[in-house]
Amino acid sequence: MPNALHFFFQVLVLFVCAPLLSGIITKIKNNLRFRRGPSIFQPYFNLLKYFSKDEVVSVHASWIFKITPYIVITSTTTALLMLPVLFYGRPLIFMGDFLVIIFLLSLGRFFLILAGLDPATTFGGMGSSREMFIASFVEPVAMLAIFAIALVAGSTNLQTIAQTSTINTSTIMASVALFLVALAETSRIPVDNQETHLELTMIHEAMLLEYSGRSLGLLELAAHLKQILFLGIISLVAFPAFVGIQFFILKILLLCLIMALTELSMAKMRLFRAVDFIAFAGILSIMAIIALALGV
Amino acid sequence: MLGSACPLLLDPLSLFFGITIFTLAIPTFIYSFGYLRGHYSLSKIWMGQILFVIFILSMLAVVTVGNAFAFLIVWEIMSLSSYFLVVFDSTNKKSIEAGTIYLVMTHIGTALLTIAFLLMYKHCGSFDFSVLHNALISLPERQKDIIFLLLLFGFGTKAGIVPLHIWLPYAHPQAPSHISSLMSGVMIKTALYGIIRFIILILGVNSLWWGELVIVLACISCLVGVIYALMEQDIKTLLAYSSVENIGIILLGIGSSMLFLKLGASTLAILAMTAGLYHLINHAVFKGLLFLGAGSIYNATGTRNIEKLGGLIKSMPWTAAYFLIGSMAISALPPINGFISEWLTLIMLFLGALTYTGGMKIFLCFTAAILALTGGLAAACFTKAFGITFLAQPRSARAQDAKESSLSMNIGMGILAFFCIALGLGAAYFIALISSVANFATGLNMAKINFSLNPFVVAPHPHIFLSPLLLSGILIIIAAFFTLGLRLFFGKAKVTIGPTWDCGYYKLTHRNEYTATGFSKPFRLAFSFFLFPFHKVQKIKESRYHIKSFAYETHTTKIFLEYFYKNFIAGIFGTGKYMRNIQAGSIHIYLGYICLTILLLLVFIGWF
Amino acid sequence: METFLVLGLLGSTFAMVFSKRISALIGNFALQSFFLCLFSFMEALKGNHLGLYLISGLILVLKVILIPQIIRYVAVNIKSDENLGFFISPQLSLVCALVLTYLAWLLASTVFMGQPILIRIFGATAFSMVSLGIFLMIFRIIALAQVIGLLAMENGIFLLASAVSGGMPFIVEMAIFFDIFVGVVILGIFIFRINKLFVGIDVSKLNSLKG
Repeated sequence: MPNALHFFFQVLVLFVCAPLLSGIITKIKNNLRFRRGPSIFQPYFNLLKYFSKDEVVSVHASWIFKITPYIVITSTTTALLMLPVLFYGRPLIFMGDFLVIIFLLSLGRFFLILAGLDPATTFGGMGSSREMFIASFVEPVAMLAIFAIALVAGSTNLQTIAQTSTINTSTIMASVALFLVALAETSRIPVDNQETHLELTMIHEAMLLEYSGRSLGLLELAAHLKQILFLGIISLVAFPAFVGIQFFILKILLLCLIMALTELSMAKMRLFRAVDFIAFAGILSIMAIIALALGV
Repeated sequence: MLGSACPLLLDPLSLFFGITIFTLAIPTFIYSFGYLRGHYSLSKIWMGQILFVIFILSMLAVVTVGNAFAFLIVWEIMSLSSYFLVVFDSTNKKSIEAGTIYLVMTHIGTALLTIAFLLMYKHCGSFDFSVLHNALISLPERQKDIIFLLLLFGFGTKAGIVPLHIWLPYAHPQAPSHISSLMSGVMIKTALYGIIRFIILILGVNSLWWGELVIVLACISCLVGVIYALMEQDIKTLLAYSSVENIGIILLGIGSSMLFLKLGASTLAILAMTAGLYHLINHAVFKGLLFLGAGSIYNATGTRNIEKLGGLIKSMPWTAAYFLIGSMAISALPPINGFISEWLTLIMLFLGALTYTGGMKIFLCFTAAILALTGGLAAACFTKAFGITFLAQPRSARAQDAKESSLSMNIGMGILAFFCIALGLGAAYFIALISSVANFATGLNMAKINFSLNPFVVAPHPHIFLSPLLLSGILIIIAAFFTLGLRLFFGKAKVTIGPTWDCGYYKLTHRNEYTATGFSKPFRLAFSFFLFPFHKVQKIKESRYHIKSFAYETHTTKIFLEYFYKNFIAGIFGTGKYMRNIQAGSIHIYLGYICLTILLLLVFIGWF
Repeated sequence: METFLVLGLLGSTFAMVFSKRISALIGNFALQSFFLCLFSFMEALKGNHLGLYLISGLILVLKVILIPQIIRYVAVNIKSDENLGFFISPQLSLVCALVLTYLAWLLASTVFMGQPILIRIFGATAFSMVSLGIFLMIFRIIALAQVIGLLAMENGIFLLASAVSGGMPFIVEMAIFFDIFVGVVILGIFIFRINKLFVGIDVSKLNSLKG
């Protein structure tokens, strides 16, 4: 069946291109800082290095520590399967709808938080606590934004959302809210800094601190996949009229540019200020819904 | 008054609740053998088991009687038998205190119910349910509102709606664990049965604000429950507050159903009721499992304080696995049952928001936002509970010496864990059954209502699908793909065990680990407008510059206890003290009172 | 004859209220009971009922002789002060007794309106005996006074019953007598206990037990 083959190919391309996006964002940031920085394929080299190295596991860790990377990558890939970029897997409609993506990501995050606590390290506990704190607020905001989008489209079914293409006030505000959520979920400034390993500033990295080798590679890959997932959703919703592979690439690159600019222009917020940031995204979503209710 | 020999109702609603009770009662009974052995004398164990059986039978009676008077009698028996089970550990002062609070609150609820039933009887002349239903249609609206409020707060006391939830965090931790699981799992659900039976089926939803009030109360319960749960370090109190939250979620479904019934959206009403009932049975199963797990931990280590636990996953692997399944269920993680019921409730709210415009749309979306927020906070709560209790290093000697629970306890928990997974994977099948129960429960009895496309796919709406089996299947396939793929490409992973890295610190002990208080500190700060945290600091100084020891305590204020109840009780005591002056303690004055009364009566008679 | 009885009953009741010592109180109570016995004897003569003779004999034996003896025995053995504790001085009590008697007369007039004057007078006497019995219980401190007050009340009720309605059924009378007798014995025991416990039968000391 040509459709299934197209779909499989699409998933594979997304999968393979995920680390490339991270490399592109880093390259843009470095160029704007007047530095050269690593090449855009550096994430691939990193992953290859991780996969071929040995692992060191803490003596205090249990089976949860070992199983978490597989759960995280599995849930993120499954969420990626549901994204209707160009082609949509017909039987996969029955798997779930838009809300299920958020729940799948929370599955990965739950185990990652447990894995942060497992090796009995202070860093991991700290990272888990902060990540949990931010995630408790990010998740409802993401759901609200998705609600707003789904209310415009008339259903939470991803295929319906993909086919219903409208731009109005609600979708614009909901897309901005989703963008802010994406910043939080992919651990970008102003919520978290991917480039730091200082205990006072790291959130996502702190949970991964004890990981090495293959597990670390899987977790990094999962982070890349989450990023392309969110960028895909936003490009689907924010610019619905342009369908086609060239437009998709353009949209993604545009979003990468916006993300890099955002990272450069802001400083990382204090943990409790980050809640205000997420709350702002939440208010945007609520306003999107009110705008829809008023018929604006 | 009793009419014909008290009929037993065996309609779908009663059967559903009966099945829920049995689903929890049997594993709990198996569990209780291992749990009670070795802690109490044989005669006390016998008494405990007899009370247990009475408790189960009274709950079954509550959901099946068809006569309001008999309902009150078995309701009271249920409350009393659970009271005796709460104070089972009668040497513990805290148990007695918890039992007293429980007894007072449940009797306040029963009093409100009695008033409501008597009001209904006064109008209809009979206690029988079917007669009541037909006769109450002619009741004037104002009286229906009063009866509704009495019923809501009467049943709300037992269910644990905020602000009547005050007894839950006292009674549930003090009872033996298998009783806590029953109380949290099914006893508070019988109150919800009462709400459905009396308000929706017998009284008939009359106004829009009924459903809205229930939804608002449910949202408040959700948030209050989960925020207090986050702050708790006693594992059973944490689970008790989490029950308050989940009752809120179930009431969201039931309240939305009442709202949609009045608005006339029949399909939505049945969907809302289905979501509520499905979450009801899910919560019974996973909360029961979690309480049994907490009981195993208490049995093995002798403490319920999670700050003293840790590392139990290595010494109690099976208990840890069951507790993990329970935590995953309550945090709504796919593909276990909690995820599907929370998803269904969210979809139901979404569909409601889709159908209506204006204020109702915004109201339903707000409710969905609050539900999503509680879901996130619940996940935070249970990562803390599971992570600090089971993972990392043991934080005390008791945790270090823990042993795995006995076989009967494992079997009990295993059965419930199996039910969790089965209810999740077979969701489509169960939702089809529950939607027929909901069909009856909303009183609509529509012809062909089915929210499952086939036994594999849940379809609350013609365009929205969820297939837990497909989801789990794909998760397993992809996991296998990664494991085998990496094995293929990069060979078998070489893993060495090494010490934890903590910046090169040489002496890593359990004091380096994160504590539960620290884990929830961000939440304590974020919600400080509600929690009013305060801390006490004590420094012992050896000299002006050298502090020998430093004690730091942090507390949160329980605002319902402090500002509502304590003031109310202080008011009653104050009035009592004031009236105490009548009782002078002297015989002469008492005789004088008698004489005075007779004189007054004579005058009274003389005048009239 | 009736005048003599009424005067005697009222007089002995007033004397009870006026008495300053325990022995005086007991003696006046015996006097009151004696007059009551005379009254029931007169009733027996009028109606010529055998039961009434028996009752008057019982009153004589129990209330004139036996019960005062028991109470004297108790009073002697607790070795308490002869003084009856007063809340109101005897003179003032007498004034109150006069007022209460007047009120009793008003009550009897209202209740027995339209009946022959004799019944009204005896009714008033009976009501006054009852109210003066309560008066004794309220305004005397020691427990013995309460016992006597109770017995005086019972006298009053007996008078009311027999004057107004020709007596209560025989078996009721018997039961009442038995009750009274046993009651006095028990109260005597209690007074011993109170004495032992509180070193005295000052009942106002129970105030300290106030909650």
